[in-house]
Parts: sequence; structure tokens; C-alpha cells
Amino acid sequence: MSSLEALLTAENLTKRYKDVVALNEVTFGISDGITGILGENGAGKSTAIKILLGLIHPTSGSATILGQNTSESVMVRSQLGYMPEHDCLPGSVTAAEFLTHMAEVSGLPPSRARTRAADTLRHAGLFEERYRAMRGYSTGMKQRVKLAQALVHDPTIVFLDEPTAGLDPAGREEMLDLVRKTHREFGISVLLSSHLMADVERTCDRIIVLQGGRLVQSGEVTHFTTETETVFIEVDTNRDALVVALEKRGVVVATDGAGLAVEGPDESVYDLVRDALVEAEAPLRRMAPRRRALTELFQRAGDDFKGGVVT
Amino acid sequence: MTMQEKAAQPEVSAAHAGTVFDIGYQRYTGSREGRNRARLAVYKDGIRTALGFGRGSRAKVLPWVFIGVLVAIALVMALVAGAAQRFVGADAAEQLNLPSHSDYYGIASIIFFVFAAVGAPELLCPDRRDGVINLYLVRPLTSSDYVISRWGAFFTVTLMVALLPQFVLLIGLIMGGPDPVQYAIDNWRDVPRILGAGAAIAAYTTTLALLAAAFTTRRAYASVFLVGLFVITTPFTTGMAAEIGGTVGQWISMFNLSNIPVHVNDLIFGEVSDVTSVAPARELSASILVGWYFLWTVVPAGILWIRYWRLAP
Repeated sequence: MSSLEALLTAENLTKRYKDVVALNEVTFGISDGITGILGENGAGKSTAIKILLGLIHPTSGSATILGQNTSESVMVRSQLGYMPEHDCLPGSVTAAEFLTHMAEVSGLPPSRARTRAADTLRHAGLFEERYRAMRGYSTGMKQRVKLAQALVHDPTIVFLDEPTAGLDPAGREEMLDLVRKTHREFGISVLLSSHLMADVERTCDRIIVLQGGRLVQSGEVTHFTTETETVFIEVDTNRDALVVALEKRGVVVATDGAGLAVEGPDESVYDLVRDALVEAEAPLRRMAPRRRALTELFQRAGDDFKGGVVT
Repeated sequence: MTMQEKAAQPEVSAAHAGTVFDIGYQRYTGSREGRNRARLAVYKDGIRTALGFGRGSRAKVLPWVFIGVLVAIALVMALVAGAAQRFVGADAAEQLNLPSHSDYYGIASIIFFVFAAVGAPELLCPDRRDGVINLYLVRPLTSSDYVISRWGAFFTVTLMVALLPQFVLLIGLIMGGPDPVQYAIDNWRDVPRILGAGAAIAAYTTTLALLAAAFTTRRAYASVFLVGLFVITTPFTTGMAAEIGGTVGQWISMFNLSNIPVHVNDLIFGEVSDVTSVAPARELSASILVGWYFLWTVVPAGILWIRYWRLAP
């Protein structure tokens, strides 16, 4: 399948629960890569995923995955993986047994299912722990098993619903690494839903932003994080002297965390910065054009949205 | 590596040296057997769960204690009948009216029902409580496939548990008599009767037990409800039926849930067992008793199926 071919399409998807509109005429397409669905709690992310997986029917509109409607074609589900947000692991069985069973339920013959289970647990970093009952696992290990069960049958596309939920910063980073590996090394496309903007920004190639059941934005992450005209400078010492030296040359300087942000309409600003660094005797650690963060995009989009998304 | 370190290394010949390669992630290129494999996997898992295989020792204790008790009852019946045949005469068991195949389910039905009440919730409740059902339903498996596979698994287990003691009893009776071959020839019809009666009690028990389990995520609630249902209806309906009497009494007696499959057992064997001999319902026609049995098996099965058909994670 070419990378440009749509793996998944949603056409005017609407889902109503009595008076509540969970999704309102949402249309998007997803091709090969890592796509993030970003939105606050209740934005319709999980509803969209459940409709795409065929678990619930839309009130109107249609969704296809690999050219088939999942609620009509059960067989297409053997090409899909799903990692739910909430607990889904039986505590009394081992990870190896659970994954073998899930591989068989996905249609793999028993001998191949056992091999796939061991391989997938190795890739998820749980090979040594695979014969322990899962009730003794930490939250991070459980998240890895949840991801592993979604990958055990080698799907074409995997749906990850809040994969970093409940993880500490280190665990979160490891999980995001695994998600990136899932596409870049395993070749499996990923649809990741999250309310954590940083997760989406660091992991995804494309984003779909939902707010109150409506599609707000969609496109390549790089499109939203284009280079700005601001140059970010970080020095080891003499930062104040550098500020003075820059201002003496007529450069507008602002502090930006541990570094300085310099407004430069063109590349001549780099020469001025170089001269100022020499004058201030400030050892340069880093200098680069600053990219716009997704956070800023949504701050501009309005306070309502900002309130629901953790940056 | 220094010379000393090199010297400290054990000598490994090139022929025996091994190297571990990380070949990275491999795409699966084998067969995908689809929905039938998924159904079979859920079925097999149901059997393993019901019997405690692949679980801790605690999960094995209850089912195997019940199976042991059920077999022990049959063993005692076989030993008593064998002793009577050997020491009194070939037809002693019949003449002394000792309990046999037709009486077994009447005697052991309560233990059988408790076995089902304890075992059936294991197949459905944890999947919904732990959320595993969500993982099943995103695979090539519908909710109908899931519940039918689970029903099939528990039916298989209850059928085996129903038949095992009967065949232990049959072997005991054959081997206990003075002429085993003649006994087997004379009583070969007991085999299809045992199969029929065993299937009837297994289907009935499986359906009611799984239906109760389908409405709660707590195994204990389902088990207590089922035990209560089977145990309490017996004295309640027996007392009321005796008090009221007549046709109304007969129909009240029909609500003794423990006796419903035993009436069918009586019809299959052509004998009234000890348990149902005091139930006014036995006087109703065979078609009513069989129809009642099917009503209490097919309708709960339909409700169970609808319950899962409507289920959305």
C-alpha cells in the first residue's frame, strides 16, 4: 500500500446519544504513518475510534478501514489492533498466555500465535516477565502488555487510546518511543488519541484536532510547527552581558526559559549574535531558529480549547 | 583485550561458537484463519477457565472438588450395587431397588447445579469486569460468536462432568456383576439414555448459569443467586404444591428448578427417580414436561444471546 493511499476514511461521521452529540459531521482520512487525534476529554476521540473499529454504529455518515466497513465486515478486524484507554487485562494469567490467546482470537494458528506472543513481548520489553501473572505488573508494564496485545497479530493499523495514561514521565517517554518504533521499525500505522499535546507533537506525523465533537484542525504536524522568525540562543555563562551586547546592536531580545529569544527578520541577525557573543565572552551552547509549538496554535484558537488540553 | 585476559578466556572452537543476532521485528506472513479460529480460541479458553487449567492452584480446587464428589457418589453406587450382585445375586440391585443410572441425576443434581453456579460466572464475569471483552470484540469475532463459544465451552464441561460419573457407574456395574459381558449386552440401552439425560441436564444448567452470570460482573453475586435459585425453589415449591394440591399444585411443582431436567431424565429412562417421585409435576403429560424443559432452556438462551448482541464496549 502506498503511503499516500488512505488507510482509513471517515465521511460526515455523526454520533448522537439522546441529546448529546458526541461527534458532529466529522470528515477525515488517514494514510500510512502516525496520526494523532487530539482533544479534551469528551471531545469525541474515543467515540470516533469505536466507530472506526465497528464497535458502535454512527448515527449518520460512514467509516471505512482498508476499504471496508468494519461494522459490516468482521474479517477486516484481523488487520486492526486496539489498545483501549482503560484496564483490559485479566490478572490471573501470564502475559505470554494472554498474548497467545489474543493472537489466536485474531485468527493465527496456535503454534504461530505462541511464537508471535514471545516475539511481541520481547519487542515491548517484557520478555523476562512474560511468565508472571499480570496482577503483579506495574502500570507501565500493563500499558506495554496492552500495546503488545494490539500488535501481536501484526495488524496493518493500530488504534491507541491514550497510551500514556497513568504513566510517570519516564514511563511516558518509553511508551512514546515504543509507539514511534511501532511505525518506524515495525511498519504498522498508528492512530493515537491523546489529550496530551506534547505526546502528539513529539510522536505524530499528522494530527486531527477534535473539540466538542467537531473537527477543528487537521494536517501535518510540521505544518503547525513551522519555523518562526525567532532565533533561540542558549549560553553557558554571561547571559546578562550577552543581552547588553545584543541590545547595543539594536537587536530585540527576550528571555525564553533558560535561553534568549532574538527577533530576526533575516539572516543578518546571526552575524549580530556572533559579534555579541564574542563581546560578552559568552560560551554558546545552542542556537537555532525556534519552531512554533502546537500549544501556541491552540492558545490562539481560543481559551475554551486550551482549558481541556494538557500542554 | 590484554594477553592475560585472553588467556583467561575459555577456548571455544569456531565450530561451537554461537552468535545471537537481533533480526528485529518480523512481519507476520503466515495464514490468518479468521472467525472460526477466533471462535475456537474462545471455546478452548472457556474450557480451560472452567476447569482451572493455566490458572493458579486455587482456581483448580473448586471445580475438581465438585467433579470428585460427583464421581465419588457414582463410585459408591457402583460399589454397593456390585457388592449386592456379587453376594446376593445377579439381579440383586434391581430386586433391592438400589439406585442406578436413572436415579443418579436426581441424587447428584444439587451438587451438579452448585458446580455450574460456581463455574459459569468464571467464563463471563471477569471478561466484562476486566474489560477483556473490548479486546475480543475488536477482533474477527462478534458478540454472538463470543457468547455462543462460551456457551459451547461450558456445555462441553458440564456434559463431561454429567457423563463421567454415569460411565464410572456403568463400568462399576458391568465389572461388579458375576457376568460382565451379559450385563453389558442386557443393559446397552443405558448408554444412549445416559448420553441423552446428560445432555439434557448439561444444556439446562449451562444456559441458566451463564444467563445469571451475564447480568453481573461479580462472580460471587452470580454464584449466590444461582445456588439460591436452585436450592430455595425446592422446599418452597414442594411445600406450596403439597399444601394447595390438584392441578395448581402440579404447576407450582413445575417451578422447582432443580427438578425440571430430572423429569426429562425420568422420561428418557422410563422410570421415576426418588427425587421426582414426590413431585406432583410428574403426573403431568410427557409433552408438557418436555415443553417446560425446552421453555426453561431455549428462552434463557435467547435472553443470553440478546444480552450479548446488544453489548457495546
